[in-house]
Amino acid sequence: MRPTRVFKTESFRSAALFATLFLVLSWVLLGAVYWIVDDTQTAALVGAIDADIHTIENGYRGEGLPEAIEVVNQRLGSGTYAGADLPGGYILIQDAASGRRVGNVQLNTLQLGLFSLSVPRNRGAAAAVLGRGGYIAQGIYLFVGRDTAPIAATRARILGAFAWIEGAAIVLAGMGGIFFSLRFMRRIDAIARTCQSIISGKFNDRIPLRGSGDELDRLAVAINNMLDRISTLLDNLRQVSSDVAHDLRTPLTHLRNRLEESRQKAVTTDDYAALVTQAIEDTDHLLAIFAALLRISQIESGSRLAAFGALSLTELLERIYEMYRPVAEDEHQLLLHDIQKDVRIQGDGELLTQMFSNLIENAIRHSPSGTRILIRLAQSGDTATAAVEDDGPGIPAAEHDKVFRRFYRLTRSRSTPGNGLGLALVAAIANLHAAKIELADNHPGACFRLTFGHSRVA
Amino acid sequence: MNILLVEDDMELAHSVGEHFRGQGYVVQHCADGETGFSSACQADYQVIVLDRMLPGLDGLEFVRRLRQRGVRTPVIYLTTMGGIDDRVQGLEAGGDDYLVKPFAFAELLARVRVLSRRPGSAPEPAIRLVVGSIELDLLERTVARAGKNIELLPQEFRLLEYFVRNPDRVLTRRMLLENVWGIHFDPQTSVVESHISRLRAKLNHGFEFDVIQTVRGTGYKFLAPN
Repeated sequence: MRPTRVFKTESFRSAALFATLFLVLSWVLLGAVYWIVDDTQTAALVGAIDADIHTIENGYRGEGLPEAIEVVNQRLGSGTYAGADLPGGYILIQDAASGRRVGNVQLNTLQLGLFSLSVPRNRGAAAAVLGRGGYIAQGIYLFVGRDTAPIAATRARILGAFAWIEGAAIVLAGMGGIFFSLRFMRRIDAIARTCQSIISGKFNDRIPLRGSGDELDRLAVAINNMLDRISTLLDNLRQVSSDVAHDLRTPLTHLRNRLEESRQKAVTTDDYAALVTQAIEDTDHLLAIFAALLRISQIESGSRLAAFGALSLTELLERIYEMYRPVAEDEHQLLLHDIQKDVRIQGDGELLTQMFSNLIENAIRHSPSGTRILIRLAQSGDTATAAVEDDGPGIPAAEHDKVFRRFYRLTRSRSTPGNGLGLALVAAIANLHAAKIELADNHPGACFRLTFGHSRVA
Repeated sequence: MNILLVEDDMELAHSVGEHFRGQGYVVQHCADGETGFSSACQADYQVIVLDRMLPGLDGLEFVRRLRQRGVRTPVIYLTTMGGIDDRVQGLEAGGDDYLVKPFAFAELLARVRVLSRRPGSAPEPAIRLVVGSIELDLLERTVARAGKNIELLPQEFRLLEYFVRNPDRVLTRRMLLENVWGIHFDPQTSVVESHISRLRAKLNHGFEFDVIQTVRGTGYKFLAPN
């Protein structure tokens, strides 16, 4: 597994996307915290400065400049304004008239209002100071400032904490992304490996499940079910191919024997004529098998669905009844009908005609004289049921499932002509019409029942 | 009678050609679609026998172009494509009949004979068909022979109508199934025989002359009675 593949996986990309989103959000949060803390601290600082200015100004208003200077000196003597080397306060009072100046800071220009300035210190870097300057009386300038180092320290702490959090988040997101990608890729690779091994011929391989029921498991189950279905179809196909090969061998053997017989035994042209006629019959039988097989596979391909239209099953069955009534009569059988009026379905008239013809011909051909054959059609709700019933010899229950298979013939009808494809064709046509086909015992006889579901009943 | 045979299988073309010549036809053979098409446009043929899969010009396209040019010569396809859709496509393209290979020559001959008599346009919608002493009223669905009414079932009537429209021509079992019952598969029971015997009995009842002749191994022929 090459590492670049990890970064190309969908799960890694999702992880990276969410990590980026998380970072952007945390930057917004950082900005907000930073701004609020900074603003609060600055406001507190300015408050302290204004309180000092107020005290000194009060002193001046009460007892004049000396008192103000006294207050300034007191302040300078106290801890807050003590050392110029410590982060603390800066103060300056200056009288233009007397030239007196008291304080621990020099100002080149006597600025007014709130401003920032840099105060050089004996050791280390200059102090960043925020202060307010102004005249408390004519010619008397007062400046009070505070070192902003505590604010800067808080800012640095906030930024530091965020840097750690962000760093950890990036590392965790990356690791998580790689972890999930690897896990995802392992399972995708398992699916790909299974597919590859199926391609190389191991048709029974299936994708391993984790049993967690997650989306990949569900996908794997779906793929495995599809593979099972394909496998069944492949088996069917193999079965059919070998059936075809086997069942074509018999008529071909007959044909070959006949031709050989004519070479050895035929003397007169009449002998030859008779054998050639039989050989043509054998060939026609073979061609009929081919035609039936082709038709079944054409129907199973579903291409006829395009030709479906609304049709009257009533009229179709009545026509078939009229068509086979004399045939049954000639066989001394009785063809009857019980066909409900105006039953319409969606379907292919030509194929349905062939389907019902096959069922009726089966009944006629495999039943003795005196048999009654009944064509039924009834609609109830949104299903239509058609049936071909007879009171002939019937079909043994053990063979009910098998009769729809290609080339399957009942033991007792092996000697009658036929290719064993008639009912396979019936089943294919019924399937195409999504009709359920059942073979039931008619006590006595057989009953083939077709149920057309609501989607097909027009 | 002139027949144009467009078929790229030389062996089949030779055998079919010889058969037709033996029946008194003049056969022009073309082995590919293009030459076949120009021949079909230039000369006057009674029937075109056309392979559906041809080198050069495909059979369907052949007929489509022919009909666009206004050439109405009847066309019968000879083809290995026996699917339902194939037949429908062939007829929709303007073909008149469709015969799946392999086939018995007698089947092809019977179909060509019916086609070659067919007028270029669709048969006029007749109300009465009269052949000899047999009269069919297509509106009333009644039949009379020498003035004597004969009761027929609907399918028997359609069978007779097809016979009467094609008198003196051999009609094969498959042609009857296709044209009377609209069935394109091979029934495993004697559907045609059973209906013919009933029709024959009804038509001939009280008459000497059998109007429906059996042509052994091929089909039936309707002979107009006096």
